[in-house]
Amino acid sequence: MANVISFKNEMRDKLRKWREDNHRNSEQIVDVGEELINEHASKLGDDIWIIYEQVMIAALDCSRDDLAWTCLQELKRQFPGSQRVKRLAGMRLEALEKYEDASKQYDSILQDDPTNTAARKRKISILKAQGKSAEAIRELNEYLEQFVGDQEAWHELSELYINEHDYGKAAFCLEELMMTNPHNHLYCEQYAEVKYTQGGLENLELSRKYFAQALKLNNRNMRALFGLYMSASHIAASPKVNATVKKANVKYATWATNQINRAYQVSYARCLL
Amino acid sequence: MVSSFWRDVVGVGLFALAHAAFSAAQHRSYMRLTEKENETLPIDIVLQTLLAFVLTIYGIVHISGEFKDMDASSELKNKTFDTLRNHPSFYMFNHRGRVLFCSPNREVSNIPNAEALRNPLRLRKLKHLH
Repeated sequence: MANVISFKNEMRDKLRKWREDNHRNSEQIVDVGEELINEHASKLGDDIWIIYEQVMIAALDCSRDDLAWTCLQELKRQFPGSQRVKRLAGMRLEALEKYEDASKQYDSILQDDPTNTAARKRKISILKAQGKSAEAIRELNEYLEQFVGDQEAWHELSELYINEHDYGKAAFCLEELMMTNPHNHLYCEQYAEVKYTQGGLENLELSRKYFAQALKLNNRNMRALFGLYMSASHIAASPKVNATVKKANVKYATWATNQINRAYQVSYARCLL
Repeated sequence: MVSSFWRDVVGVGLFALAHAAFSAAQHRSYMRLTEKENETLPIDIVLQTLLAFVLTIYGIVHISGEFKDMDASSELKNKTFDTLRNHPSFYMFNHRGRVLFCSPNREVSNIPNAEALRNPLRLRKLKHLH
């Protein structure tokens, strides 16, 4: 009996961790969530509703439309007329590729509440899913003009620009993100990668600096270490630099190589234990 | 999750604090009645207040859960792009998961291999290992 209770608590905590960290491990979520819903629904209290939402989205990922339908029905029964549940119904239509119906659903949400950000973001996702990336970018830009603080949207816009190979604008979006999250090494690193991809001597130097910044924030970031090595080597190999800059960059590249080798040795030793 | 011992400690501390406050108020009114305004609060009430305060704080620290690091970047050290790239508000569903996890009862006309319909992907992989 105690095992069952602790299993339920453990699974509920795992689901919460996955939800908070934005893990998209839908197969696992469906496995765990389905069991929780079917067997422990009564003992979960009010947590059950957010779990229904999480499992429904995971079920749509795994093509489990039956499970998604049951979750949606339960949520509709508990929260009739809720905008959030309407959005979930729209997401289900999107998964079934009924994009016009989904779009109508979101339009009805926006009629009732023009400030609803979730419905606007779903409409942008519909455009993305249909492959209309130029329109999606335009809509997302308009959205960001009104809701400047939406970090998820800035990151999404940077990804859309990267897909369109518009690295300058993608770098701008990442700069916005870096401004609001100066301690996040991953945004620094992604910005450095975009600058590196843009190419050209100044961009390479900028990317080397941001790779170094990412390492300063998190000295275990392997991608930043490799990025530092590559940008430094490219600058050193470029014909347009003078001897001092070349020497400095060779030094940085050798330092990076040593760090990389050491990191691999440490992890090899750890594997052997 | 929360140990009830520490909750009791906090309860006892708060009660002792209230008791000391009440005693101090009573002492004040006694002073006013006997017109000895120059006497300070007795040492035992002061001691009880301080001890109850310390006890309550100690108990609350144990109840309140995990402390976070002061360094803002340290709790990001374990974050990876796996999770940072996921934007739940922008999730799309037109990916291969819709076909990969297709249940065997669904009619999917464009899959030529009848085997694929009967076994989900995992079981088919296991079959090839034998």
